[in-house]
Amino acid sequence: MSAPPLVAQGLGKRFRRRDWALRDLMLTIPKGGIVGLAGPNAAGKSTLLSLAAGLLAPSEGSIEVFGRNPLQAPEVLAEVGYVAQGAPLYRSFRVADTLEYARRTNPRWDTEIAIELLTHIDSRAKVGALSAGERARLALALALGKRPRLVLLDEPFASLDPLAGRELLQLLMDGVAELGATVIVASHVVADIQRVCDHIVLLSSGCVRLEGDVEELLDSHRLLTGPRRPLGSIRGVREIVRERYSGRQQTLLAITDGPIADPSWTVDPVSLEELLLAYMAPERLPTPRRAEGIPLRWHG
Amino acid sequence: MIEFHLDSQSGVATYLQIVRQVKDALRLGTLDVGDQLPTVREVVADLAVNPNTVAKAYRELEHEGLVVARQGRGTFIARTLAPASLQHHEELREELERWLALARRAGLDEESIRALVSTTLRESLARRVA
Amino acid sequence: MAWVTWRQHRAHAFGALGLLVALAVAAVLTHLPIASAFGHDSLSACLPSAPRTGCDIIVPHFESEFSGLVTATRVMAVLPLLAGLFVGAPLIARELEFGTYRFAWTQGVSRRHWLLSKTALLAVGTLVAAGAASLLVMWWRSPFDQLEGRIGPSGFDIEGIVVPAYALFALALGVLAGLVFRRTVAAMTATLVAFGATRALVADFVRPHFVAPLHRVIAAPSTSAVPGDWVLSNTLVNAGGQRVTAGNEELAVLHAQQAGIDPHTYILTLGWKRIVSYQPAGRFWTFQLFEAGLFVALAVALILVTLWLVRRTPV
Repeated sequence: MSAPPLVAQGLGKRFRRRDWALRDLMLTIPKGGIVGLAGPNAAGKSTLLSLAAGLLAPSEGSIEVFGRNPLQAPEVLAEVGYVAQGAPLYRSFRVADTLEYARRTNPRWDTEIAIELLTHIDSRAKVGALSAGERARLALALALGKRPRLVLLDEPFASLDPLAGRELLQLLMDGVAELGATVIVASHVVADIQRVCDHIVLLSSGCVRLEGDVEELLDSHRLLTGPRRPLGSIRGVREIVRERYSGRQQTLLAITDGPIADPSWTVDPVSLEELLLAYMAPERLPTPRRAEGIPLRWHG
Repeated sequence: MIEFHLDSQSGVATYLQIVRQVKDALRLGTLDVGDQLPTVREVVADLAVNPNTVAKAYRELEHEGLVVARQGRGTFIARTLAPASLQHHEELREELERWLALARRAGLDEESIRALVSTTLRESLARRVA
Repeated sequence: MAWVTWRQHRAHAFGALGLLVALAVAAVLTHLPIASAFGHDSLSACLPSAPRTGCDIIVPHFESEFSGLVTATRVMAVLPLLAGLFVGAPLIARELEFGTYRFAWTQGVSRRHWLLSKTALLAVGTLVAAGAASLLVMWWRSPFDQLEGRIGPSGFDIEGIVVPAYALFALALGVLAGLVFRRTVAAMTATLVAFGATRALVADFVRPHFVAPLHRVIAAPSTSAVPGDWVLSNTLVNAGGQRVTAGNEELAVLHAQQAGIDPHTYILTLGWKRIVSYQPAGRFWTFQLFEAGLFVALAVALILVTLWLVRRTPV
């Protein structure tokens, strides 16, 4: 009961004869948060979720869901609701059949929760005939109907129009509120998850580039704009994450540990998207970011 | 019942926006003592925001004594904010309209006015905190 | 998992049922002339144990009259393979191909439980269907079986308990192939090849040796087969017991013809004998048990390998 929903230690995954999809990953997801797993395509997000869902075996290191290895202890899968990319379902099944399938293979099935997500969908319709938005809702209904303690969603908003995407997000948040579940949503579009995530994990090329509480990250980073000049140390700036130059102006993205006294700098907050882009940039060091002092690891 | 809206571009934290909207409603009189706030689930299903965020906003309001949470029944307004400020609002509003006319005559468009107001407000708040 | 298996494979069940019904209809229709000829010519009096005179004419006549149909029924040997191709091979391969394993294997049942339940239930269905087909063939072939026995290759593998055993083996082969090859068509191809090769190998090299064959010396001319028995080999040996080569046999025949003597009598006077190695008809059920047991054991081994592999396979 007290084990965190997900703990990865030195987790690595390599597919045959290819580069490492994940390398030396250290991660702890706390209970009850909504975690955004961000990063460009091929960052390792799907791989991480697949490992958590017990679909892949680690090449090195370990991953534990509620303290158990999902491959060795498959009963933990009854507590994990997983929706893979593209929400794969049996196309020839009817909606009612799919629900029955889930009911029969999950010990804690709750039809009420599932049905709440399926308004205006005909239970006799074939899954293959549903629209992308309806299929996404069905996949989510199947995941939430299990009464999971952990929900894993891999790019749930891809191929959804904005209206369907917003609807899905509403249903997801409602379901999470009812279940009190922890959620990990992988998406390469920051705007989709920005609205709801309390925590963010940024993956790029198989490594964690940034992780932490969203509010704390936004509080501790600032965009400094000022005339171009050689930089010494700036009072209030702990570390410069990114520098940009254009003409006579330079812009810095910095981690601040106090107010910026120097009036020649214009100080602005930074958006989450901007922050993530900066940490994804290739000129960043390949080693995982973990600055001391800043509470980037949150506790339970 | 109050309906919340979220401005995801404003840079203001979601929970603060909810707190502010409740306070605005109290000041304008659209919420009164005893009125029930929407449940966390209702807000979440409407706005598609994190339930923790709504819970945090309601806790903040409770901390300030504006609402009280009754176990199993919901969250209710406990006290209202001084209506006297409504009067000040009128004067401030007229002054603002005069200033806006000045700004427009100076050639500022809506965008520039917003930028000027945001920057000045932020700086003045920062100065107050610093 | 029973409902799940039924829902995903009910098309297979109906297909098998339809096929069996069609085969039954064909069997009944084609059996009518056979039964009538059998009765009309009183062929029941020509059984190997006590043949009467005249049988050596009417029996071959009967057999040649229906030889086309008998040959056609050999196609029933393919039936067990269908279980492997259409039920076994797609079982895992289809899930992997279409990505639905990401749904099926993340519910509250483990991969092993999923696989074992499905395979066990499908195995039961396969055994029942194959058993029904076997009974059908046994009924249809009974006139021929009575006359020429069924331990020989023309009847052995489409009758009796080996048919369900083959089907179970094919099913297990298909399931493993699906896991290894991950694509339905590739799995079907592999199943086809492996099934054919195994069946041929067992039939040619293992089956003859389930029980040590008997030997009989034939003094009668040529290579007359004793009806009902399964002749494995037919060797001409000289007086010293050594095998006579075909070349030497031809020489002897030529020599006899030049001398104007009947070649067979001449061979006898040389002290040469024909030794026939055979399996008697009465061993049919013993052999059925051996072969069925072998294929069931293979099937179980394949299933165990699949169960072990399914959890280890990184997908």
